[in-house]
Order: sequence, then structure tokens, then C-alpha cells
Amino acid sequence: MLEIVRQQMVCIVAPGWSGGARLSEPCRKALDRLLHDVAVVHFASIGLLPAVAGAADKRPSLLLELAVEEGFRPYDLLYRLVYHPDGAMWALFGSMIVPNVAEPTAQQKQQLLDKLMSWHSIADGGFVGARDRSVRQIEMEKDLLDRARVEARKLKSKYSNDRAAFALALSRWAYANPDFGWAATPAPRSYWRGKGAGIGAKLIYPVAAIVLWFLLLGIVWTLPRASSWFFGAPGEVGKAIEHVITGTTECLFTMSWHGLLALGIIVFLVWLFLVPLPAQFVSWRRWLNSVQQELDRPTETLSSLATYVGGWVIGVPVLLAVFLCAIAYTFAPLAYALAPDYMHQVIEPKLPKLTGLQITAIAVVAIIVVLCIGALFYRLNRYFTGASRTFFHPLEEDVPRAQQIHPSVERCEAELVDGTQHMFSLTELRGPQWWSAWCIRAALRIVTFAGRVFFTRGWLGNAPGIHFGHWHIIDGGRRFLFCSNYDGNFGGYLDDFINGAAVGTTLAWRWTELHPRAPALEGQPGIANARSFPPTRFLVFRGVKCELRFKSYARDSMLPHLYHFDACNRTVDQINLATGLRDALFGERNAHNDDLIMRAIET
Amino acid sequence: MKLSTYEPDALPPGARSLSYGLFCWLNRHTTVLRAIGALLRRWPAIGGRFGVVARASAVKDVLERTRSFSNTAHAANMVSGDYLIGMDPGPTYTADRDLVHERLDALDVPNASDEEARKRIAILQAGERTFDLIEGYLMWVVFHAMKPLFGSATDAVVAGSTDQSAQGAVDEGLQRQYMLEIRYVAGQLLAGSLATLELRRRAETCGDALQARIDRVTGPIGTAWGIKSASEDIERNAVGLAWISHPVTVQSGALVVQELLGRPKVYDQLWLRARSLGDRVWIDADFRRDVRDHVLELMRFRPIFPLLARDVPRDTELQTGARQNAKCPGGGKISLLSVAALFDPSAVPDSGRFCPNRNWGKEDPLRYLMFGYGYRQCPARDHAVDILTSALIGLLTLPRLQLARGEGKAITYDGPLMLSMRMRIT
Repeated sequence: MLEIVRQQMVCIVAPGWSGGARLSEPCRKALDRLLHDVAVVHFASIGLLPAVAGAADKRPSLLLELAVEEGFRPYDLLYRLVYHPDGAMWALFGSMIVPNVAEPTAQQKQQLLDKLMSWHSIADGGFVGARDRSVRQIEMEKDLLDRARVEARKLKSKYSNDRAAFALALSRWAYANPDFGWAATPAPRSYWRGKGAGIGAKLIYPVAAIVLWFLLLGIVWTLPRASSWFFGAPGEVGKAIEHVITGTTECLFTMSWHGLLALGIIVFLVWLFLVPLPAQFVSWRRWLNSVQQELDRPTETLSSLATYVGGWVIGVPVLLAVFLCAIAYTFAPLAYALAPDYMHQVIEPKLPKLTGLQITAIAVVAIIVVLCIGALFYRLNRYFTGASRTFFHPLEEDVPRAQQIHPSVERCEAELVDGTQHMFSLTELRGPQWWSAWCIRAALRIVTFAGRVFFTRGWLGNAPGIHFGHWHIIDGGRRFLFCSNYDGNFGGYLDDFINGAAVGTTLAWRWTELHPRAPALEGQPGIANARSFPPTRFLVFRGVKCELRFKSYARDSMLPHLYHFDACNRTVDQINLATGLRDALFGERNAHNDDLIMRAIET
Repeated sequence: MKLSTYEPDALPPGARSLSYGLFCWLNRHTTVLRAIGALLRRWPAIGGRFGVVARASAVKDVLERTRSFSNTAHAANMVSGDYLIGMDPGPTYTADRDLVHERLDALDVPNASDEEARKRIAILQAGERTFDLIEGYLMWVVFHAMKPLFGSATDAVVAGSTDQSAQGAVDEGLQRQYMLEIRYVAGQLLAGSLATLELRRRAETCGDALQARIDRVTGPIGTAWGIKSASEDIERNAVGLAWISHPVTVQSGALVVQELLGRPKVYDQLWLRARSLGDRVWIDADFRRDVRDHVLELMRFRPIFPLLARDVPRDTELQTGARQNAKCPGGGKISLLSVAALFDPSAVPDSGRFCPNRNWGKEDPLRYLMFGYGYRQCPARDHAVDILTSALIGLLTLPRLQLARGEGKAITYDGPLMLSMRMRIT
């Protein structure tokens, strides 16, 4: 399921680029023609990556980023691009395959295709904002929106504020227009945006897995009994087998129940601490917010440090204890099966004998104690304001210098000021690189999964405006490449990440750093001094919240593009609006659709 | 020009892979389909309830009622645009059909297919002892036999260009690439609506590429055909002819050979006869007729479309063979288990036995059910059988053949499509 997302974002890193720092105009035009004609590529960009430190070949690598429609295998996509009669891909990469050949033979094209396949990398993680839409669909819906707006201006004077009559008239106009026959079918939606959008559909998979597991255990447990029933009592060997099967299945059955129960209790506790308690008790809510703020606090204060230390001294041991209890409870049946005497004679006497009522009472008392501590600190905070100010007083932000943006990056941003912005960021993986690569991949899979299943409305967490954001671990796990096509400007974009998807962004980037590197070619940015990603706490806190340092880090890691292609040049909001209008115009007439039409027209 | 009709997968993750996997498995194991068909023939009312017909009489009835059971069921899977096979009868259908008949009249089968088969066999004999039946033999025999479909414009179609130098550069590599492209377009018709998104997208990409290729050369095609139709008419027919003629015949050929190798006695008999004929193998009329009968019988056991679908445009009833007709609500679909009809003992005497010389009597048209039935039957039926006959004769002139097992899988599949079939000359 995740691969279908990852395949949508492909990067080709071709080492040994001997061309200049600019693409020729005919080559750019040929690429434009190719990508328009193929009509499955949403965004494409070309950049230059500096050679890997220590590499024998100091020439830069040519990077081609492709963000395409869903469902393409890289081979099929590259096949279509390479074998296109215009030959733009050969114009770009041909010199790296067979120099000085203008018109390649079929064999040379195949050679290019094979080479591109060896250079390509599908995203290790990514997010697609306006998903389930093809390039052609976006263009057709844009046309519908534009023409509907023109028609709406004419109708508006007639219907004034009568929303229902206005929507009906516009809908009639759309229905009667033969150009919009395609729009009569609702805009296609993938499972997670359609039937699977509800929480029930998402729970089906784990529930089905659990049910199937217990069913399987039940069947295996029943088999020897069914065999005895059909064929009579088994012999010695048969009995031994029956004994082993019965013992194993019963042990697995009990362990599964214990595991489920432990998981259920943990989920309940997390829910209790994070949902009902904050909703019921102001002090609890403030305490939780305070803990998060202190852990995220970019400046070094006593409060922040105290929370961090408190987390290590209290939070981590408590969580570890809960986790170990759950593990012990889950695997206890296995221990009883393997060493029953030891468990009965040695372990059991050491366990406290508590009734359910006593356990509940202890839990309630524990919660009350925690609440009292929270309330106490809250009051202390209010009464000793001077001490509080000192405690929370921020120290100076550690930014070594004013931010300098390389002119080539600024020029690229200026070129795209009226359209979708683009970003290449190249960083190095922290050592040990295999560990960093593993952690990043795990984190990116989680981000991709969450984006695919939960964040289906074009926002990653609370960050809007991302068309295609993708991360690649390249050069044999040494470097980390981030490419993004986004709406708005760079500062706003990073603010969205900082405020809307801080956890995911910190997780993705915390294992990176910047090493000094020479520019790929003259006129390209290099890095003079080594930099580290802003420090994080407990993996997911702080990091990007150190706003200035994070922005400075991101800026320094950026590379300019030599070429950028945007098939539709629409913002995510505009795309969503046009799709919404299509569904509202051709859907049933109700207040919701009428309102949607009105908003689409007036936006 | 048809545009890609990308639709994201609306099924829950895993459901499509599961259903498509089952579909492909059934396609490869036609005996299972035949067993299901036997049950549905015995109790046709059950099939009727699910809109499935299995009896020969019922299948023929559906295929003859073209207004009630429409071919438009294919349209959704024709990724490179509309063509005869997915159209309802009408002026466009009639005109296109006439054009196809004209183009088919230009074919010179079996002479052209014989010639290419002999050429390829000579290459195989001179080469290594293992070869890929599809890419090393059948693909080329069918391609050369069907060259007159585009006549003088063939190189332009393959090159996708009107430029003479580009056409001059057409080599086997480019031809092979063209044939791979059309294979996936045809593959989508075979895979149907159950196909996974990746397969469908690949077919769409190849369909787009084929359309772009033909779009550039409608002029030369019109000249070669000697017609002055609008370019979109030429494009529709050229695209349709390109993807439907070649890949389907090649796949049928591979299925025929697979079935033949699974019947060693039958293969031995034919091979010994070919050996005894020596050089006369290509001109002996009795032998050719016999091989042709074998091809048809092998196709009966391995039809390329064991399952067919039809749209139901308006409410109607279906004669399944049960006491009561089955109701077919308009807007729905029905399925035809054509492989079951080919084994219906009430229409085919001794239906379970492999018998190339069977006397079909008045049911002779049923023998060609794998090509459809009645007015909508494939117009290239006899040409396809002739080409496959030539191909099989060629293979029989080689020393004994067997599947090249032991070096990985001898047959590799791509969904229901056979991608390669590695053979060994023993």
C-alpha cells in the first residue's frame, strides 16, 4: 500500500554530469513538450548535486525529480519517457550513455532506460496533497471552475442571494453543457478517501487480523480432536502430537488474550490521560500543555531543562515499567508452560495478592496524587510570580550568524513566485549512517502511512499546501534528499511544518547534519561550515521548534533547480475547490452542495 | 483520441490483489473453470441467479442477441480508444467493419506466415538450443503475416514518424518495442476491470504511446489504405487494428503450444508425420488441414477468453437452460463461461476427449466459439487460425521440443498474459 505512494515520487540521480550549470533552451523546451504530451507528470525538476565527499569523480550528479500520477511502476514511466519520439530524455542524459549521438538507435534507448532504472530511487517516504487526481482531471476541473465562475457572474444578478435557486440554475447550465459530460460521474476517490474514510473502515484491518488469528488457533486446536472423533483414539505418537498441539495452541491463545488485554489497558490509559482528564480538569490540561511546550521550547530555560530532566527521571522509568509489566503479563503463560514449578514456587510468592477493588483504588489514588501535584505547582506558579518568571526566563537563541541565502536559490524562488514553489534539500546522514538510515526509513514509513490513511484531505497534520513532498536516502545511504512542491513561500512553508507537522518533520530530519561541501559547479551554493540539525528531546520534541536554527539549517541545505515543470500550476486549495465544485454541481441538490457552489464561485 | 481514464483504486487494500490473483489463477487453470462450468450446466438456474451462463445453447443465444447483450462491456478496458469489439452496431460500426474486411483481404496468409515461420525456424536451428517461443518466434511470425494491415505504412507506424530517415532506421529492436507496447494494451482487455492499478496504468501508458504514434502517421496510413476518411477515423481503426490483431494471436499461439506439449502423444504423432513428410511438410494439404484441426481443438481446451462479459443495456431475460428464464436488470452485466459451452456434451459429442477430427455436424460454428459467435464473431478468425497453423507446422519441423524447465520457470506470466515461454530443442 505504501509503495504505490512512494512510486509516485521518483528521483533519478545520474553521477558524472559534465554539462554546465544551465540547461540549454532547446533542451528545456523539449522537456516541456515531452512532459505536456505524456500528461502524467505533475511536477518535474532538475538540479545538480555536489559530488559525495571523498568520491574519486568530483563531477556533480544530475538530479531529475518526477512527481507523477498514482499507479505507475518506475519502469513503465521511464519507458514512456525514454521512448517518446521527441527524444528529450536522450537530449538530457544521452551524453552520459553514448557521447555525441544525436539520434539514438533502439538499442541505445534501451541502454538509456536500463541506466535510468539503475539510477532511479523511489521515495523512502512521501506525502501527496491533492491525491486521486490525474493531470488531465485537474485541467478539466480547472476549466469547469473558470467557466462556472463566468456563468455565475451572469446568474448572480438574476438570483441575488437566493442560494438554492442560484445553485440550481448553475447546475442546469453545467448539465446542459456538452463539454462537461465527463463531470457527471463523481470525482474518483481511492478507498481511504472514499468508503474507507470512516474510523470503522480503518479498524476493520486490525480487528480482522485478530479474529483471523484466534480462528486459526481454534482450528489448529480442534484438528486433533476432530481427527479422534472421525478416526478413533490415536496411538502413542498421535497422543504425543495431540498433546503438543493442544499445549502450544492453548499457550498461544492465552498469550494472545493477555497481550490484547495489556494493549487495551495501555490504550485506555493513554486515552484517559490525553482525552477525558484534560477535558475535565483545567489544571491537568494546563500541565499537559506545559509539558509539551517545555519539551518543545527552543530556548534553554530552567523550566525546559527541569521538564527534560523530569522526563528522564520520572517519565521514562514509568513508561518502561508499564511496558515491562505488559510484556511480563503477555509472556507469563509461556513461562508457566516452560517452567511451571519455578513459576509456582519462586515467582508467585513474590507477587502481591491484590483484589480488583484494591488495584482500582490504587489507580484512583495515583491519579488523585498526580492531579494534586499538578494543582500544587499551578498554585505555586500563581503565588510566586517572580520565581516563576525567573524559572521560565528564556535564554538567548543560539543563532551564529544572520541568514544568508545563496543568490541561485533566491533566483529560483523568484522565478516561481506566481506558481507552485519548489525545494531541493540535501543533507548528510549522521553516523553511524546505517543506523540513521534505518531510523529515517522507519519514521518515513510512519509518515507515509499516516498521510495515506489518515491525512486524506490535502493537509499533512496541520500543514496545508503540500503538493508532493518526498524524502530519499541516496548515494548508498550517505545522503538524504528532500524534494517538495508547495504553495506559498519558503518561510510560510517551513512555518507550516513547524506548527503543523513538527513531529513528522523532526523525526525525518533529526538524523541528518550538514558537512562542508564545495559547490556542484560555479554559481551553485556550497557549505562552508558544518552544521547540525537543532537538538531534539525524546526523538520528537524540539527540533524544528527551534525555528531560526531550523530555517537556517534548511536554507543552508538547499540547492537551486536548473529546470522546473508544473503541469497544472494550481494551488492545492484551488484543486480541491474545483473538484468540490464538480461534485456539488453534478450531485444532488441540497444545502451542503448549494453552499459549496457558492463558496467555490465566491472564493 | 481517448485520454487516460485514471481512476484510483476504490477497493480496500488487498481486496483487488486477491480477486485479481484468483481471476488470473482461474484463467491459467481452465480445468477449474470447466469444472465450475459443468456444475452450472447441470444447474443453470444457479448461474442465472448470478448472471452467468454456461450451456452452449445459452452462450450462443447471448452472443446472437447483440442488442440485448452489448459488447460495450469491453469498452472500459480498451485503454487506447473505442474500436469494433467494444461498439454497438451502428453506422460507425458498419463502416469500420467494412474497412477491417478490406484490410484483411490484403493479407496473404498462409503464404506470408509460412515464409516467416521458415525463416525463423532456420534462425532457431542455427542458434542456441533454448529459445523464447513468444519473443523469438510467434511474435515475428504473426507480425510479418499481418504486415499488409498497414501495408506501405508499416515502418511509419513502427517508427511513429513520417520522417523517411526514421523509417529507414526501423530495425528488429524497434519492431520488438512496438510489439511489447501493443501487448500491454491488449493485455488490459484480457485482464479486465479486476486488473490492479499498476497494470491498468501500464496499459494506459502504452495506449497513450500507441495513440501518439499512430496520430503522427495517419497520413501515410490513409495513403496505404487508399482512403480519404477523417484522420480520427483512420486513427481509431489503425490503433484498434494494431493492438487487437497481433498480441491476441500471439497469446493464442502460446496457449496452443502449451496445450500441445501437455499432450505428448498428440505431439509425437504430429511430429512424426512432419518428419516423414520432410520438405513437403509446408505444401502437403492433408497435413496442413490436420494441423489446422489440431490448432482449433487445442484452442478449445485453451481459449484465450474463457470468460466473456456483456453489458445489459435494458431489462431483459436470459435463457440459461433452466425451467425459468433469469431476469437481467438493465445497467447490469452478465458473464459467459465460453469454455464451459465448448465442453457442453449436449452440443459437442464426446466433449471431454481431445479429438481434432470430431464431426461437429450442425454445430460446426460452435467450434469457433473462441472467436465469438454470429454476426459479432472476429472477422479475422480464419486468418488467425491459418497463421497459427503455419507457426505450428514450423515448430513441428524442429527436433523435439519441450519446456525449458530447470532454469527457473519455463513460463512466466504477467497476470493472465503469458510473457515468455522458454523452450528447449532436445
